Amino acid sequence: MSELVGGLFIHMSWSVALQVALLGMIGGILSGFIGSGGAFFMTPGMMNLGVMGPMAVASNITHKFGKAMVGSKKHGEMGNVDKKLSIIMLITAAVGIRLAVWVMKLLFAGAGDGHGGAKGAGANLYISLVFVIILAVVSLSMLRDIVSSRKKEETGPSTKIVDFLARLKLPPTIYFPVADVNVSLWVVLICGLATGYLAGTIGVGGFIGVPAMIYVFGVPAAVAAGSELYLAMFMGLWGALNYAWEGMVDIRLTMILYSGSLLGVYLGAYGTKVVKEVVIRAVTSIIIILCVLSRMVATPAYLQQLGLINTDPAWNTWFNLASKILLYVSGTTGALLILFFVLRAYWKRRKIEASLTLGR
Amino acid sequence: MQIVCISRGSYDYSKTLAEKLAGKLGCACISREMITDTATDFGIPVGRLEVAVLKNRPITEGMAIEVDLFKAFVTTYLCERALNESLVYHGRTGHLVLPGLSHVLRVRAIAEMDARVKNSAERMNISWEKAKQYNVQVDEDIRRWVRRLYNVDWDDPSLYDMTISASHLSEENAAAILMNMAQMPEFTITPASRQALQDLLLAARCRLAIGMETGTQDLKVSVQARKGEVSVTYPPQEERRAKEIPRILGQVPGMQSLVCTVASSNILYVAETFQAESPEFTHLVEIAEKWNAAVDVVHLSSEAAPEAEPESAAPLLAAKSAGDGGILDDRDAGQAQRIKKEGVPEVMDKLIQAGRAGKLRNIGGGPAGLVTQIPKTESYNLIVVGEVFAEKKLSKQRLKRDFLSLLADKFRVPVLGTEDLKSQYLFGPRQLVSLIGSLALAIVIYALAFTNQEPVMKFMAAGQTHGSFGAKVAATVFVLAFTPIVAFTVGAFYKNLLKLLKIE
Repeated sequence: MSELVGGLFIHMSWSVALQVALLGMIGGILSGFIGSGGAFFMTPGMMNLGVMGPMAVASNITHKFGKAMVGSKKHGEMGNVDKKLSIIMLITAAVGIRLAVWVMKLLFAGAGDGHGGAKGAGANLYISLVFVIILAVVSLSMLRDIVSSRKKEETGPSTKIVDFLARLKLPPTIYFPVADVNVSLWVVLICGLATGYLAGTIGVGGFIGVPAMIYVFGVPAAVAAGSELYLAMFMGLWGALNYAWEGMVDIRLTMILYSGSLLGVYLGAYGTKVVKEVVIRAVTSIIIILCVLSRMVATPAYLQQLGLINTDPAWNTWFNLASKILLYVSGTTGALLILFFVLRAYWKRRKIEASLTLGR
Repeated sequence: MQIVCISRGSYDYSKTLAEKLAGKLGCACISREMITDTATDFGIPVGRLEVAVLKNRPITEGMAIEVDLFKAFVTTYLCERALNESLVYHGRTGHLVLPGLSHVLRVRAIAEMDARVKNSAERMNISWEKAKQYNVQVDEDIRRWVRRLYNVDWDDPSLYDMTISASHLSEENAAAILMNMAQMPEFTITPASRQALQDLLLAARCRLAIGMETGTQDLKVSVQARKGEVSVTYPPQEERRAKEIPRILGQVPGMQSLVCTVASSNILYVAETFQAESPEFTHLVEIAEKWNAAVDVVHLSSEAAPEAEPESAAPLLAAKSAGDGGILDDRDAGQAQRIKKEGVPEVMDKLIQAGRAGKLRNIGGGPAGLVTQIPKTESYNLIVVGEVFAEKKLSKQRLKRDFLSLLADKFRVPVLGTEDLKSQYLFGPRQLVSLIGSLALAIVIYALAFTNQEPVMKFMAAGQTHGSFGAKVAATVFVLAFTPIVAFTVGAFYKNLLKLLKIE
């Protein structure tokens, strides 16, 4: 299998292309269904196909730019976008992305030079660790939310942080008219920085941006999703610009991802109309947990490549295989489950009729 | 019998005014606090809702249902009293609690900030600054409560019949003015407005009955009523539990018939005249079926009507209920003749057959009447406007365009003319061209990129291979320009393909 440009980019066989399209489709279904993300499946999936971490992140963030552009246009029409909030967050999100690209470039250049490690292993390990930590926190919080919301007295997402920040009253505070919240400028800027940094590192800014808007700013869920998508469009633009400048974007991967993800997004979004909210959250958190496990399984291979642990390099193939299987099982099961809901609703729709009871 | 609803803030003036007015009218004075206490005893967690809204917590699905139940409880409480006696109600949302009733006098009582601060400082024995801060916070809380529960602006003057300032009028004189005003014909109950009151009560009772039943307490439904005919819409995923609705509502007094419609979205269809056989209406039904949507029909009449009457689909089909009284019968007979002539029964009949019928309303005053009489609080996914401004032959098109943008501004949802439905939401020749065009363009783009992988990737990797500044700029510009083109091309192909397969 030949590689392009001195091994920087993978050879694109039909088999690889089909797998990337499938990743895109599953990621798209999850993204349309969950409302954000999808990258948590696509980025490690591409890494499992042999794409180096930074190239996978770069191609994915470029893909996200176009996808968010299409999606935010739709959300804008529904009045779910607080442009003021998104634009203020964008100021520091851009700094966060630039910081992430810089860190990634350092790790990418630093590894594989005399330590016996493969090129990109340091960056791969770093991406995997950030991925595991952040998404483990997100998925476990979601599961806890589901369990606690089953109790009748639960009032919805926790607002401890919102209440705490409201008491602090850090000036200046800004009013966001669509979201109808007053938030300290400093809080918005810090959350923007974190969102941008994670979007630039693992391509999953939405998993920080949306919860931050809901739990830290107190923004309604629909506006949080719409505003994050609007922000994601600019972050994707900025991320794509930075990675393209560094020559890390594999435009072929971006194109193939689109061929699957845009179909998936439409199907996933249709699924949200016909599935109960609690089911959506449960399916999402289980898929994310399995993705986290998949990345954890792949970590020993990177540690070995960096010489940090002393294992047989032959095992790396098995670690990679196990990681790949876990990822595909989680994503495919989730996507099939969602497709099942979608198709069931599609057929059922034709059977349901209005019931008319007259003359009591 | 009179109903006066006073919207008030934190100051005592309005409370005293309400009590004095009730004394002059010789009727009951009901405060918001009385109702919330009763609602809490009834099992609705009003305190929890208040904390959530005032602390700006996100409204979850469960809380949205509790908000619905609270509103239904308030409506039931007030309507039951108002059917038998005059009443004065005072509370922060006084002007919004009885929507669609023409004979309710809606008053806003205001006071200057300095006077309120002085009052609060004395009453609570706190400093001027703290008292000011307290009043500003209270106003902000009320604004948020009104916006969250009713999606309107508390300060919107169009929602009030009158605003009274404490700086210019004593409570006594203000009460005297309001008493005179409340006795004017515009604010006196008529057979039609009594009917509207009964409908409001029936719908609220039905909503409460569904919400208080163990098996359906968290069911998301929308309930409307007209002359005993109840219309309920529910989301498709609740189909199994929704089967319980006829049994539950069977116990509600006053219900004569029931239409249950499964709907995951709502479409508002507005027109002066309707044609059930027209292709545009067929397109509307097709879209409603595709979206699982209930279609609410608004029949606009150019004649000035005293009020918007909420009506359900069924009355046009079912036999008229007895006991309306002669005046109401005459009025109804005239109205029935007019709406029959303008094609309303056929349209409703078709919607019911398709299982897509929502409620029907007749609104007087033409298109302008619609803007003022349908509250912003009503939630729609799409508004479709049919034949309007029929008499303005030359300016019809321009007026309709202005009307569409007025509705879009008010409801913040997509608003379309019936003529544009097909091109926007259905698969037609235009979509076929777009489907084939986007597919062809995508094939060309992908073929070019994948048959030239080596040069393309060399060009893209300028930043990694120490390419010149110009090469890096070119690669970056290429990515930023090329990505949206691919996204929109592939997106347009899938959008049209799914439209063709009716999966939207």
